[in-house]
Parts: sequence; C-alpha cells; structure tokens
Amino acid sequence: MKLLKIAAGAVSGLAMLAGTAMADDKPVVGLIMKSLANEFFQNMMVGAQAHQEKRGDYELLAVGMQNETDFESQINAVENFITQGVDAIVVAPADSRAMVRPLKKAMDAGIVVVNFDVALDEDAKKQRGVELAFVGPDNRGGAKLAGDALGEKLGEGGKVVIIEGNPGADNATQRRLGFEDSVAEFKLDLLDSRTAHWETEEANSVFSNMLTAHPDIQGVMAANDSMAIGVVKALESAGRDDILVVGFDNIPAVGPMIEDGRMLATVDQFGTDMAANAIDLALEVVQGGPELEGWVKTPIELVTAN
Amino acid sequence: MTTQTLSESGRSTPQLSLRTVLHNAGIGLALLALIVFFSVFTEHFLTPNNITNILTQITINLVLAVGMTFVILVGGIDLSVGSVMAFAAVVAGKAITLPGFGPAEAIALAVVAATMTGVLCGVFNGVISAYWALPSFIITLGMLNIARGAALQVSDAQTIYSFPLAFEEFGSAMIYGVPVVFLVALLLVFVAWFILNFTVFGRILYGIGNNEEAVRLAGHSVFRYKVAAFTICGFTAGIAAIVYMARLNISSPIAGIGFELNAIAAVIIGGTSLSGGRGSVIGTLLGAVIIGVLANGLILIGLSDFMRQMITGVVIVFAVILDHYRAKYAAK
Amino acid sequence: MAAAAPGAAPLPTHGSAFLSVDGLKKYFGGVKALDGVSFSLEQGEVHALVGENGAGKSTLIKILSGAFPYDSGDILLDGSVYNPASPHEAKQHGVQVVHQEFNLLDHLSIAENISIEKLPRTRLGLLDRKELNRRAVKALKAIGLDDIDVRAPISSLGIAHKQLVEIARALQSKSRILILDEPTATLTKRETERLFEIVEAIKADGVTVVFVSHHLDEVFRICDRVTVFRNGKTIATDLIAQTSPEGVVQRMVGRRLEAEIKEEHQDVHQQDVALRLDDLRTAANPKDRGVTFDLHYGEIVGIAGLVGAGRTEILRGIFGMDPVQSGRIFRDGQEIRFSGPRDAIASSLGFVTEDRKGEGLVLDMPIAANTSMANMDAVSKLGLLQFPAENRQAREAGARLKLKYGKTSDPVSSLSGGNQQKVVLAKWLVRNPRVLLLDEPTRGVDVGAKAEIYAILKGLAREGVALLVVSSEMPELMTLSDRILVLADHEIQGELKRPDFSEENILNLAYGRANAAGGQAQ
Repeated sequence: MKLLKIAAGAVSGLAMLAGTAMADDKPVVGLIMKSLANEFFQNMMVGAQAHQEKRGDYELLAVGMQNETDFESQINAVENFITQGVDAIVVAPADSRAMVRPLKKAMDAGIVVVNFDVALDEDAKKQRGVELAFVGPDNRGGAKLAGDALGEKLGEGGKVVIIEGNPGADNATQRRLGFEDSVAEFKLDLLDSRTAHWETEEANSVFSNMLTAHPDIQGVMAANDSMAIGVVKALESAGRDDILVVGFDNIPAVGPMIEDGRMLATVDQFGTDMAANAIDLALEVVQGGPELEGWVKTPIELVTAN
Repeated sequence: MTTQTLSESGRSTPQLSLRTVLHNAGIGLALLALIVFFSVFTEHFLTPNNITNILTQITINLVLAVGMTFVILVGGIDLSVGSVMAFAAVVAGKAITLPGFGPAEAIALAVVAATMTGVLCGVFNGVISAYWALPSFIITLGMLNIARGAALQVSDAQTIYSFPLAFEEFGSAMIYGVPVVFLVALLLVFVAWFILNFTVFGRILYGIGNNEEAVRLAGHSVFRYKVAAFTICGFTAGIAAIVYMARLNISSPIAGIGFELNAIAAVIIGGTSLSGGRGSVIGTLLGAVIIGVLANGLILIGLSDFMRQMITGVVIVFAVILDHYRAKYAAK
Repeated sequence: MAAAAPGAAPLPTHGSAFLSVDGLKKYFGGVKALDGVSFSLEQGEVHALVGENGAGKSTLIKILSGAFPYDSGDILLDGSVYNPASPHEAKQHGVQVVHQEFNLLDHLSIAENISIEKLPRTRLGLLDRKELNRRAVKALKAIGLDDIDVRAPISSLGIAHKQLVEIARALQSKSRILILDEPTATLTKRETERLFEIVEAIKADGVTVVFVSHHLDEVFRICDRVTVFRNGKTIATDLIAQTSPEGVVQRMVGRRLEAEIKEEHQDVHQQDVALRLDDLRTAANPKDRGVTFDLHYGEIVGIAGLVGAGRTEILRGIFGMDPVQSGRIFRDGQEIRFSGPRDAIASSLGFVTEDRKGEGLVLDMPIAANTSMANMDAVSKLGLLQFPAENRQAREAGARLKLKYGKTSDPVSSLSGGNQQKVVLAKWLVRNPRVLLLDEPTRGVDVGAKAEIYAILKGLAREGVALLVVSSEMPELMTLSDRILVLADHEIQGELKRPDFSEENILNLAYGRANAAGGQAQ
C-alpha cells in the first residue's frame, strides 16, 4: 500500500510542477478526483480537461487517486494545493469525514472550495465550524428513480434484491438507501442485499448464488452498471429472461442492454460534465460572485429503452 | 523381484506417496463435510443448477491457482496475477474488437494476445526475481502495479465490450451441465499434474523448492526453472483473462483486484507449503473447490457479507495451521 | 568386556549415581527409537555416549533435556522420578545441552545470547546493558575466554567460538549435568584441546559432563566411563581405564571390525594428469598467489589445513560454484573454464559437498530421486521420467555402496547420516565421474559406515578415478591419500608423501612451520 501512496504522491508532485510552470495571471483551479481507475471518474476528468481547453481562461491542476480507499493522497493533494496557492479547490471527497479538516485549512487560507460528487458529512462540518455548499447529484434520489422504475413494473409485493457497492462508501450507502426508499414506497419484498464491491465478476458470482437461494426473484437493483452487467450475464447463463435489472451510471457498455431489454433502466448523472460544472461554479465565486449555499443539485435522469 | 519393481515404480515420486494420498483425502474429507453441512442446511445447495454455478464461479480462481502452484512450489509467490489477468483481458479486448476481422480470427487473436501478455509479465517476474535473487514478493508487488497501470492506460479506464457472439457462447456453453470453461480449467489441472509428477521438469521444480543449492550443484540451471515457473503462472493469468472475457463478455481494467489472494489461498488450503517443495496441484483443485463451496454455501445459508468474509479468513488460517502439523509429521 | 552391567563398577573416588535411567523406551509411531536404555550418571564424571548414528543417543539426549516425553521405563534424579515436560523444566533441574546445531541468535550480541533466557533489567524494566555485559564477561572468563568483545554480534564469531559461547551460556545457570552433543565435530585440533581444558575445569567444579562423540580417541582422552548404544539399546557401560578403543568399537558394531583398512598402497605407476591447477585463485583468496598442483587418474590427493585455510574454496572454484579470480584449470591437458556446476559435470567431474543437508541432498525427496538428480538424462526420455529405470539405478547404486534402506521411494531424510552420505556418493557415482571432489566425506558418519566409504573411495581410485579429498580428520586423510597437500592461508605449504604421513608433520605445515615438517615446501 505504501508503494501506491508514494506513486500517487509522485504523480501529484509532477502535476504541481507542471502547474507552476504554466501559471500566470489566470486563476488556478485544483481539481481533486477519486480513483481514475474508475471509468466514471476517468470520463469526468476528460470532461474537465476539455472544459478547460474550451474556456481557456483558467489553469487546471488535476490529481487522482490510485484506488477508492486511498484517502491519504487526497489529503496530501489539498495540502500541496494550499502550498501552491491555488485560487480554488474543486474536490470529490473519497471520505466524507476525513476531508473536512484539510479543506477547512484551505478555506482558512482564502481558497474557494467547492465540494462535488459526494457531500461532506454534516456533523463533521459542524464540528469544525465549516460552512460549505455541496454541488452534486442526489445519489439517493437517483437510485430511487431507478428503483421506482422497477417498482412500477413489478407492483406491490414484487420480490427484489439489491447488489450494493463497497460497504462504507458514501455513494454506495446513498444508493442503497434510495433503493430501499423505492422498496418501501412500492411495498416490494426485499429478499437479500449484498455487496459485490462495484465489480462485474463478483456481481456475477454473488448474484448467481442469490438466484439459487431465491429462484423467485423478480427484480434486481444494482448500485452501478458494472455490477448490473455481471447480473445480466448471470441471468443469461441461468436462462432467465423474466427478471428485471436496473443499474446506475449509464456507462457505454450498458447501452445495448437497455436497447434490447436485458436491462430495464439506468440512471445518468452526467458525470462527464459534473467536474466541469463544479469548476464553473468555483470560478464564479473566485471572480466575486456570491458564496454557494446548501446543496446545488446537478441534473440526474432516468435512462430507459425509449 | 518383478512385482516389487512394479510396486516401487508406482510410488516412486513424493507426490504419489501414500502420505500425499492420505493428506489429499484429508482435504477431501473437509470438503465432504462442508458439502454435507450445506446440503442439510439449505435446500438449494445440492441441485444441478447450483453445482453448475459453483463450477463456473471457481473456474477463474482455479486457473490462476494452477499457475500459482508452480510458483509456490519453487518457493516463490506471485502477487501480480489479478492485475496481469486484467491487463491481459484489456489487451485481448482491444484485439478482439479490432475492426476488419471475422469472429474466428478475432477470437484467435484475443487468445494469443491474452496468453502472450500473461507470458511476458511472467517472464518479467521470473527473470528479475531469479537473476538478482530478489524476493518475488516485492518484484510481483511491483508487477501488480505495473500491470494494473498498463491495463488502465491501454483501456483508458473504459470497459471494453461487444465481443463476437461465438466467444460469448463459448463462455456459457455446457456439456451435461458442466461449464466448458471449467473443463478447460480441469484440463489445465491435468496437464499441470502430469508435468509435476512425470517429467524431469516437474521433478526439478520440487527439488528447487526443497533445496535449491543441491539442485544447482547437480548441474541444473535454477534460474531457467524459476523463470519457467513464473512464466507458467503468467500464462495461466492469460487463460484466466480469456475465461473472464468469455463469461462476462466485457474486459474491465479493474477486474481481478484481490484475485491473487484467493489463488494463494486455494494453493495453501490445498496443502502446498508456502516455503516450497511440497504440495500438489490436485490439492490446489480441492482448495479452489472448498473456497467456491464456502462462498456459495454461505450465501445460500443467508449469512451476511461480513460474516462470510470472516469465515473464509478463518478457513485460511486453519489451513495454514494444518500445514504446520503436516510438515511436522512429514519431518519424522 | 570388562565391566558387564551398567554401573556395576563404580569409581571409588565418585559418589553413587544421582541420575539413573532404567529400561527406557520411546516410540515414534511404530518406530522404536529407544528400546531399553539403562545407564547412570555420577557426580563430577565425564561420561561418554557412543554408538552409530541412529543408535539412540540423540533421542536419549532429547528426553533428558525435556524435548520429548518417554513411553516407558524410569529416570530417577536424586531418587525421584524425572520426566521434564519442557526444556525449561529440564534446565530448572540443572540439565543443560549444547547441541550440534547451535541455538544462537546470529544478529544479537554475544552478551545478549549468553543471558537470553533471563535478560537483566533495570528498575524501570529496561534492558540493563551494563549488567548484561558484566555477566557475559564473567561467564566467558569462567571457561577461560577473556579476549572477546561481548558486544560483538554472534555472527562475527567462528564456529569454535560459537560453541564456547553456547557452553558459557549453558553454565550460566546452575548446571548439574552438561550434555555436549558432538562438540568437536566442527573444531580444529587446537580448538578441541581448548574445549577439553574447559571440560576438565567444569568437571573439577563437580558438574557431570555427558560427552557424545564419534571420535574414540577423544573419548579415551577425557572420559571416565563410556556407555555404548546400539539399535536403541544400551549395550554396556565400561570404565575407560578398563577398556580399549577396539573393545568399544566391537560393542558398537556388534562384530569384530576388520582391522583398520591398512591394505598396502601399491606404488601405482603414475597415470595421466586428470586435472591441473595453475596458480588458481578463488574469489575468497585475499593473497596474490594461487595454488598449483596436478591430480592424476587413479590417485587420491588429500588436502589438509585448518578451518579457514581455503580448502573448500579450492573445490568450489574448480567446480564452478564460486568465481575464479585468476589462474588456469586444465582438464586432460586442455585449458578449461567452468561457468557453473553444469559445465564441470559435463566434463565428468563430481563434487561430494561438505554440507549434505544444505547442498548435497534434497532431504524430503525419495532416495531414487536424489540418486538421479545429477543424471536425469539417463532416467528420462524426451523429458518424461522413466520410473523403472530410475529405481533400477537407485537399487544398483545402493547395492554397490551397501546402502541400508527400506524402499527406493523412501525420503532420504529417513536414513541415518552415514547412509545419507552414501546417497550423496551414489548421486555422483551413477554418472561414472572421472574426477571426484570430496569435502569432508565422512562428517557425522559412524565408524562402520566410515570404513565402508573409505573402501568405496579406494575402489574408485583403483578403477582410475582421480579423487581430491578435503578433510579435517587427519587419520582419514592418512588412510585414504596417496599424497597430502597441506594448505595454510590459501597457499600450499607443502606436500607429504605416504612415508612422511604423520599428524605432527601435517600440523607443522598447517601452522606454517614448513621447516620442521620434513616435507618439501612448494
């Protein structure tokens, strides 16, 4: 693990150097992403870079993480940005509590901080006396959109299971809660709920086993599309086409599945634009606009076959 | 005299000795106990569909564990197999989706691409660790990062999809309810068993794990054999990549995270000594089945994810304790 | 022959036995390790335990030191039953063992090793280094060592000093019985002398010393009584004063050993040179001069010298195991360079190494597999093993070497030391080598097997094989060799021909006193 951190540190260090060389009078925005191994964030990063080229009136310094749980390199990145004297930090926190302290430090240093993707924990913010708006999608609401689509099809008493993301990850928790909201609203019968760590192969195995234990499953709510793909493959192997699947993220690979009905729906939170939108908001504040407040919700949309 | 010759020749390798048979029987008994337990406590466990499921689910781990057995037998370890599998899958995914090929050519190209990628990573692991006599633990930890980074780089962190239909059919094909991919894994087990027990190559691998210096002094190039062991491990990672792709019809650059630990666990539960020189690939097969049966059965029973993880951990620790006593018994 | 029953003839100067063992039995599974062991120890005596390897000495020591329990029989210590459950309990009863393989922690200091069982603490519970070092100095002084820095790590010591540290550690706590398990196996003559002085001193303090050794001359030098083991039984306990080495050997092997092989070395007419070294310097040689000599077919050349004189290094250099710094090697008159053992083997060389567990054998593997380890081509076709051929090869080699074994599929680790050594020999003999290098060919081998190995080596020489033998046992070299090269400090100090063979001549050269030796310095 240490190696990973060193590597991540080196990468962010290089990014800094490049940034310093370029910086002149344009405002500098430090973008802190989550794991770029996740194509959702990879796409978001590409979107931000395209945005920077299009606007051309700011400098972008971007830092990613090696994996989903590598909080430390995010904290290091914040500290490096403070030293660097950037004008704004736009951050997708890997942990909703661990990031509060370093971000408070950045705000104290007069840096505009915009929190997107995952909201910082309210209690932790209060404890540190931090007032910080959140720009991002409503993961819980989004999951509920998908869950509702399933609920409407199945009706009361429909038997469903949930495939969760990483236990402890905030978006995983929010999406699970959103699914559970749908379960409650449509009086669905939740048979089982298990993690597959966001991963296709594991979702495939875990869901196969759930299907064996509960052959009467009628619907599956997967917390991301990678896992939904694993579920779809398991259904194909089992020769079942009577079970409905919903996912989340709208990655390209699920497009054909939604088209031909193997998946009922997924949720698009327009991840590609999310960082770019957050940067726009940050630059407005840097240029003298009003402080952001509360929850600035970004658009989410249910994606179905038509 | 003639009869004695025959009986001796049948038992003349350590892997075929009575002790090994008994010890594999020990693992077999543990497996049997698990099967009886799950059959009694869940109604779905001993059904044809569920058995098919289990066989499908253990295939990737079994393929990786066969290669891992070679490396562990020579006293090494390969932490990179999960990442190498992802890298191989991504390279093969790029190859199979190249425009301008018919399905058969595309699949052949993917198989070559995946195995070659695995082999090259294995050669790297073997050459670096054997030439400079460095701990393979560290070298393959390096490769774990190299291959994962390469997988993300090559794929641009995107899931690759839309493979030829024939490929997908191969991934889900069954013969009398047995998944074809599992039969591929079983074939690998058989080939490995044959190599380890009936060839000079296998004999020398066991020798190196027991006493590298004695083998070197007997005029054998320890370097070449070690490189070969790591290469085989890389090759099986490539095969695992093909199985992954055929089964899921995608190539994900984040596939296989932590798979190396499952493969190592299968080898150790199967009774191969972490210090090398002792063990068998038949044990590895049983070890992989035990892990698969546990993962499956504990879900059927309805145990929570966290309890499931704990129990799997306990089984691994228990297997190592058992190995300790086995080693002690063998020493007498 | 003289004293029949154990303890039947107590020494007048000693008190009665304070430890007595009677009818002791110990089984490992179905294998009987001890099958009726009876003897006694008296205070302040030096008591030898002798017997072939596997006769039961080690098992007895392990029982006395609390490593294993026993199955039946009695051990009485001061009249009450003694059955220590752990080495710790044995130590509390004052029974200490110095094992053949040391139990020292290489990276800790000498002082820490000496006090490892009970490290002194300051009032704060921290390690009291001053006290630690003081104790170590005192303990070492007690055995006559006062020229050692106790703060140095154990790894900086030679093997002899390590052993003395072990003894000092054992004597640290109150000892009544000190068991020395083959203490001289790795010592040079001078170091052995020093050990004997220490044993005398310990004895004078009233400690009973149990001395396990294969060297009967040593037993007869320092011991008061000797108990002979054979096949897990004690055969007899004799007063040293009333027996002879021949008598002890006879009890050990249970038959009259053919008198030391003293067959005439007929003056072999000089055959061709098999191997020539010309100023060969190995990487371990710090000097600027190398060694030069010829080895002919059909002759046995011995290399004598003290530990550290560079004997093993020459063999390793020849065999391509260690890099050669300079100089040349000629094989059948052709200059040749071996880049590794593989080349040397291809050139019909074989190397019976000193450390059979570390370098010679794959212990967990069958006898057959070990025998074929260097001769795989003969027992395989297209890379596939031919098990019948392999077993036949092992059986034939076993018969030729009088190997005592059960099945060729038994692991080598199941054999006694002497038989293991024969398997190492077998591994090379199946290749029919023309030049055989041997390093300490009979270390840890019992008397009977030793004689057999000597006969085999001489037989090879008669068949025309060139043998180069390194040994620390001078009688061995004098028995085997046609001539002896004496090495000191990586240089050949002189060469002795058969008529000049004597321990004195060898030692004089080994200590660099060439003039006194009567041999020709090169």
